[in-house]
Amino acid sequence: MNLQDEVLLPVGREAVFQALNDPEILKASIPGCEELIKHSDTELEATVVVKFGPVKASFGSNVELDPSLGPEKFSLSGSGDAGVAGFAKGGAQVDLTEQEGGTLLSYEVNIDIGGKLAQVGGRLIEGTTKRLAKKFFANFEEALVNRHT
Amino acid sequence: MSVEAKTLEERQAALKGLGTSRKRVEDARFTQGKGNYVDDLKMPDMLFGDFVRSQHAHAYVKSIDTTEAMALPGVIAVLTAADLEPLNLHWMPTLAGDKQMVLADGKVLFQGQEVAFVIAEDRYIAADAVDLVKVEYEELPVLVDPFKAELPDAPILREDIADQKEGAHGPRRHPNHIFTWEQGDKAATESILESAAVVAEETVYYHRTHPCPLETCGAVASMDKVNGKLTLWGTFQAPHVVRTVASMLSGIAEHNIRVVSPDIGGGFGNKVGVYPGYICAIVASIVTGKPVKWVEDRMENLTSTAFARDYWMQGKIAATAEGKITGLWCHTTADHGAFDACADPTKYPAGFMSICTGSYDIPTAYLAVDGIYTNKAPGGVAYRCSFRVTEAAYFIERMIEVLAIKLDMDAAELRRINFIKKEQFPYQSALGWEYDSGDYHTAWDKALKAVDYPALREEQAARVEEFKAGKTRKLMGIGLSHFTEIVGAGPVKNCDILGMGMFDSCEIRIHPTGSAIARLGTISQGQGHATTFAQILASEIGISADDITIEEGDTDTAPYGLGTYGSRSTPVAGAATAMAGRKIRAKAQMIAAYMLEVHDNDVEWEVDRFVVKGAPERFKTMKEIAFASYTQAIPGIEPGLEAVSYYDPPNMTYPFGAYIAVMDIDVDTGVTEIRQFYALDDCGTRINPMIIEGQVHGGLTEALAIALGQEIAYDELGNVKTGSLMDFFIPTSWETPNYVTDFTETPSPHHPIGAKGVGESPNVGGVPAFSNAINDAFRAFGSTHTNMPHDHWRIWKTANDLGLHA
Repeated sequence: MNLQDEVLLPVGREAVFQALNDPEILKASIPGCEELIKHSDTELEATVVVKFGPVKASFGSNVELDPSLGPEKFSLSGSGDAGVAGFAKGGAQVDLTEQEGGTLLSYEVNIDIGGKLAQVGGRLIEGTTKRLAKKFFANFEEALVNRHT
Repeated sequence: MSVEAKTLEERQAALKGLGTSRKRVEDARFTQGKGNYVDDLKMPDMLFGDFVRSQHAHAYVKSIDTTEAMALPGVIAVLTAADLEPLNLHWMPTLAGDKQMVLADGKVLFQGQEVAFVIAEDRYIAADAVDLVKVEYEELPVLVDPFKAELPDAPILREDIADQKEGAHGPRRHPNHIFTWEQGDKAATESILESAAVVAEETVYYHRTHPCPLETCGAVASMDKVNGKLTLWGTFQAPHVVRTVASMLSGIAEHNIRVVSPDIGGGFGNKVGVYPGYICAIVASIVTGKPVKWVEDRMENLTSTAFARDYWMQGKIAATAEGKITGLWCHTTADHGAFDACADPTKYPAGFMSICTGSYDIPTAYLAVDGIYTNKAPGGVAYRCSFRVTEAAYFIERMIEVLAIKLDMDAAELRRINFIKKEQFPYQSALGWEYDSGDYHTAWDKALKAVDYPALREEQAARVEEFKAGKTRKLMGIGLSHFTEIVGAGPVKNCDILGMGMFDSCEIRIHPTGSAIARLGTISQGQGHATTFAQILASEIGISADDITIEEGDTDTAPYGLGTYGSRSTPVAGAATAMAGRKIRAKAQMIAAYMLEVHDNDVEWEVDRFVVKGAPERFKTMKEIAFASYTQAIPGIEPGLEAVSYYDPPNMTYPFGAYIAVMDIDVDTGVTEIRQFYALDDCGTRINPMIIEGQVHGGLTEALAIALGQEIAYDELGNVKTGSLMDFFIPTSWETPNYVTDFTETPSPHHPIGAKGVGESPNVGGVPAFSNAINDAFRAFGSTHTNMPHDHWRIWKTANDLGLHA
């Protein structure tokens, strides 16, 4: 599954870029994030609870950040395992463009979901994932604005 | 006495024999919730098993950690392949000559595959423990498209047999290739295609679906360690074969194994095969010494037990300019999933797909079937049909429609001019079958007349004009189908399953007071055997069907038989019943002659008694004869009245029928409405018209499901997208129309009572009728063929692709 969208954030590019690398902000932004452990600057481990229709799944996830092309670009990849409920893997490509009034964040997310989640929640996955992505950036914006105002 | 006062007709009616719409004797318990299904079995100390299943369609299993699961109170054991390997039970043979993992042996090959088996004190603890088993996988590329199976970058699925160049059905050209099966004359067919005036071509996909019986599969195994006896209750369509297989796999002597099929809540082919759950339950009971129950849930049923169909059928049909068919060519790519577990007679890896010349006199034909491994669940069972017969019928009935379009000819007329004629029977088909009997023209004309076919075509043409004029958004489709089945497998000389000849059996005991019990090698899953077999016997031995108990499914008491599937019960076990009845009658004749003090040949049978020829007032009823057999010393005749028959059918039977569906289609929503459905069945001699009607209604509804939406769909990762009843279509009364049923009666010349079998005809003939109706609706707009299932989205898409939304 492939998702694309963009969001205009009312802060400068460098601030956005820093926030994308900040475990505290990420933890506050990821919907259902119960735990986020930073193993290094680029390696994170997260526990995320997501509900797809009738299936509630707790993902143990490993995420790798790639800030090497910052602050213009930022990418991450990861995989999550929810045991018998299924698994997810994928990545996100983020472009940050300076604009009047802030920074335009455009993202492209690729996610593959498998296991029982895909079976039972098949028809719900796309909608749920889109909703979660929107929620993430809404939370992200809120956390960012709180920090910079 | 009142019996004597009755007329011949009254005596006949009192038997409730052949042709009587006798109410089903089973229904008293089924309608009152008193059925006894495998999950109703409760025993002291019974344990419950549940599977850890693979989330991945293709992966190596790196490790299985059962520590946490074992620590859960109430968990007895967790079995993995490593535990089964010393017993050589980590793999098991399939019915198709392949082998299948019982528990994942190093890798998994489809989503839902059995990885570990948890045994616990109750099913809730077992389910909780399943969640605690940690399996580490290494994912592998997934193969879901059979046409990509032999590409250079295709992953090799079955590494266990990757190097084997020879499979159970001949040479293998690639590790993902299972077999190639060829029938007919390739060169002659291709030469006809080259020179024919008209050749129509189409690739027809019969999508993957699932029998989805109301009751899922399950078993209870109980090892009595004191007496060394294993009892296995389960949802088995072939209990005797299960006993033989269980004996061969476990090493327990066959006389120490008792297999019981209790009431079964629908089978439809899903319960023919042997599943890992049965093996694991047996092993678990042997290990623990306690009864172990395993019953799968709905998702497990849909995603791991046997699927049906999944045939890609590429066809070419040649004809003269006038529409006389001269040749048929078919190449099928058969997606068999991860293990070849098709339930077909051994010599027929594609079942009876070679019945694909259908009801037509096609002089030359060629069929090739390639079996392919993919990362999908194994199976390929005959879902309410004889082996691959629905695929064959769907193929030819679509090809006829496609040819009619090419010839710009009426499809009913095209069928009529190509039907095998009544006087051609027994008919030798180009692909090797001998059709026993048929009268297709009579059935077809009766069907067309019943629906007023010309008027329907006129209405349809008018509708197209209205549509083009913008007056309506609904199109009308007329779905024609004339199918010929091949059922009643089958003659032992060419039909076997795991080497066991496909005969069947009946054993009859007449009790002293003139009632009887008959046991058969088959097992009812809702077909009503206890009702119909008693009727066959009633007509043969003159005892009322109400006084005859029919018993099946317990291998300790029933005679050996190959079970119930492929519409074989009436053709084979029904024949055995009639033959055993005739043995009873032969002995009864001698007893009657002795009692009447005449020569054996001086008495003749009359409904329920033997009568002295020329002296109708002198007779002995079967009841009197039965009593005498137990109470009198008759010189030269053994006491008692019993008989056994093992029946090896000389040929298959060939039921046929003419179905017509009339449907309206809303091009903007894709919603379909079945306006009319007429089903004429010819199943030879009709035993119980009411049961036939019930079977036809049920089969048509399953056909409706398959044609209009039911499917097992996979995504590119090998996820089953239709693994629950939220997405897998089961019609309810809301979707089900009123069916009109009709019949002609062309008895089978080789069957003792002329019966052919009917339970599966409506699925075989119904699917093409529904699909042809949908396709026919779009014929006027240049569409030749669209694939099933014709759900609302696909129909909308067809309309959209044809520019009908502009």
